[in-house]
Amino acid sequence: MIPPDAPLRLLLGIYGRQAWRRLLGIREQSRLLTVFIAFFMLGYAALSFALFRMGLRFIGSFPGLGGVLTERLMFLLFAFLFFMLFFSNLAISYTNFFRNRETQFLMTLPIPFQTVFRFKFIESTALASWAFLYLIAPLLAAYGMAQKVPWDFYLITLILLALFIFLPAIAAAWCAINLARFLDRRRFQVLLLATAASLIMGAVFWLKPQPLSDDKLETRVLAVLDTLMDKTRFAQFPWLPSYWLSSGVLHWAEGARSTAGFFLLMLLSNVLFFGFWITTETGKMFYAAASEVQSRSSVLARWSVLRRRRAASREFKLGPRGIERFLGWLPGQDGDVRALVAKDLRMFWRDTAQWGQTLVLFGLLGVYVVNLRHFAQQLTNPYWVHLVSYLNLGACALNLATLTTRFVFPQFSLEGKRVWIIGLAPIGLQRVVQVKYRLATFASLAITVTLMLLSCAMLKMPRDHTAFFLLVVATMTFTLNGLALGLGTLYPNFKEDNPSKIVSGFGGTFCLILSFLYIAASVALLASGSPWSRGGTANPSKVAIFWTAYLALSACVGWIPYRLGMRKLARFEL
Amino acid sequence: MIELIGLVKRFGDLTAVDGIDLTVHKGEFFGVLGPNAAGKTTTIRIIAGLIKPTSGSARVAGFDVQTHPLEARRRLAYVPDFPFLYDKLTPLEFMRFTGQLFKMSEAAMAGSAKQLIDRFNLGPYLEKPIEGLSHGTRQRVAIASALLHDPEVFVIDEPMVGLDPQHARIVKDVLKERSRNGMTVFLSTHQLSVAEEMADRIGIIHQGRLIAVGTREELRERVGVGVALEQTFLSLTAEVDDGAARPLSEVGP
Repeated sequence: MIPPDAPLRLLLGIYGRQAWRRLLGIREQSRLLTVFIAFFMLGYAALSFALFRMGLRFIGSFPGLGGVLTERLMFLLFAFLFFMLFFSNLAISYTNFFRNRETQFLMTLPIPFQTVFRFKFIESTALASWAFLYLIAPLLAAYGMAQKVPWDFYLITLILLALFIFLPAIAAAWCAINLARFLDRRRFQVLLLATAASLIMGAVFWLKPQPLSDDKLETRVLAVLDTLMDKTRFAQFPWLPSYWLSSGVLHWAEGARSTAGFFLLMLLSNVLFFGFWITTETGKMFYAAASEVQSRSSVLARWSVLRRRRAASREFKLGPRGIERFLGWLPGQDGDVRALVAKDLRMFWRDTAQWGQTLVLFGLLGVYVVNLRHFAQQLTNPYWVHLVSYLNLGACALNLATLTTRFVFPQFSLEGKRVWIIGLAPIGLQRVVQVKYRLATFASLAITVTLMLLSCAMLKMPRDHTAFFLLVVATMTFTLNGLALGLGTLYPNFKEDNPSKIVSGFGGTFCLILSFLYIAASVALLASGSPWSRGGTANPSKVAIFWTAYLALSACVGWIPYRLGMRKLARFEL
Repeated sequence: MIELIGLVKRFGDLTAVDGIDLTVHKGEFFGVLGPNAAGKTTTIRIIAGLIKPTSGSARVAGFDVQTHPLEARRRLAYVPDFPFLYDKLTPLEFMRFTGQLFKMSEAAMAGSAKQLIDRFNLGPYLEKPIEGLSHGTRQRVAIASALLHDPEVFVIDEPMVGLDPQHARIVKDVLKERSRNGMTVFLSTHQLSVAEEMADRIGIIHQGRLIAVGTREELRERVGVGVALEQTFLSLTAEVDDGAARPLSEVGP
């Protein structure tokens, strides 16, 4: 007798076997690079553990306030992680449920649709949440050490976390199913823009810093602390699952085990209730939603004006349209280059997930930079102004690195699928990659230079300082794009259509790590060799050495992979 | 075995399938022809239960694919033009996986698998990861896996894509044999020669409608005795395009 849940176990077994073989596939990669990546992963864990430990010690050293601040920080951290997990699960669930060939295949087999949904739900949760555990493990270890907790704290924390990750996953799966049922691509884009705009507006409004005088800071500490606590109180909203997790962790660390047990049971009961609900009731809607996604036409086609326009556009008009006309105005562009650029821009625009992520990442950074104007009033010491500007440079470059890895790295692999037209066209593959480099760099420059300019303006920095930071961020933009495109050409993956899967492979991980290391080294070099340190009396020869080192590093990191990629393309066989 | 009753599928303002009524009998080899975007794949996807029809119904082996999806899919095998396979599995593991999903016993699975592996010359590839196989070999793995549970109804979209002449012959022979033994085959193709050679009856779908159904001879008679299937197809689809029959001389050489 075959048990009723056999298909699910069978599917999970296949998933596990595939994952294991992918892991074993690392052996086929260069051993040096594998060791490098493993070293980085361990290095990150060790470094973040050390930093968290130092930070917690520092916060804990505030007399009378250490405990309160540490507690609030934990609540805030888990609250933000809850929302991040929700959005991460939402993006992965939607793609995994409705834009996945395996799902289509499974739906033709004698497996109940609910079982297919359950399997895909578990897969999406695992994909969206594993990194979360990796990222916060050092923090929890540092917190445990700082609080001198017994060993069972780590076990209970692991159980609490394992329960917690299901709640944002359940909420995201429910949203994905209903988005699929009721929204087409255009409506989804509008909703995404509206959500991003309201989040940004909300952040601008809510996080607006309040001016504080030095006098107030010294004499009315409790009032300042009260304001701070008030602004962050949302993290202690008792209906938030992150509140239950934080409370469980904190109470167990303090030895209040029965209270911690209450929060553990709170998480467990919610996971059981909503888990049952999602795998039964929501699972029933899965087939209807999947069919709806496959059957959808544009909602705009319902409007007669647009229908007429659409009908007219079906008539052959081979002349340039929209973006091509715009590109036609730009001087010095050949027709083949224009065609390639227009194609890349159109594909980027039509993939909502791509520009949606860009919007969120740089939108949040933009909010922070714009808010600096309030912060700048408090910064009377040039040391702090420069420290903040170097940190902004690092933040801007780190954001750019995630984007170049996510979007620029897979570009050549994606062209591999279309190599029959692009590779055989007289433009040549090398030129294709050159055009992509120019386009990606130009687009990135527009964002990074604007953000850096804003940052300097908000910090009221002099013109020469502003010019310095603009030049630096421009150099980093050239370097990071060269690195991503070069490594993407050296480690292509022509089997995958999905750019996020191309990026999650060996080459993409290597690119991200190298980008992060480059940014860390660059910011360290530039800050160490800052001509404005020591009140502007830094040794010019020391400054020159650090700047030269930075430029040499940028040239190597950007130019060598790009050059090697180009050399590979010269010998590339279609 | 396959019954399509008043089948309609609309994508917004586009009607992809427009009231198809069709019965394909047990053991019948039915070929579907049609120009691009005629509605063939949409019809197949409805039969496979991947999408809901706007109206009408599709029944497989007597079971409505919407109201009794599990019963219908237990009796059905569907191979799309670009079938999905797990890249990190070997063909043998993939076949075992599909056999287990269809709740086959170990003995039945082993017997059926051995026969199909021999027939499709898959022996040398059994232990190799699917990701390293050629397109044609992957296609053979997909067809063999789909036939493993001895389905009552076999639906296949463009079966010859990527197959060399030798293996295309093998696939044709296997499908024809199975059809003679009672399996209903619903084959969609652009290759008129495949439909002409294999199908007991041919249906032509155009602009979402089933514009003609019959044996090769019946279809030829409809436009003129002794005409090749290609000319028959062109003539029948042209009739619909024009809204009226056109002389055959205008359609083809």
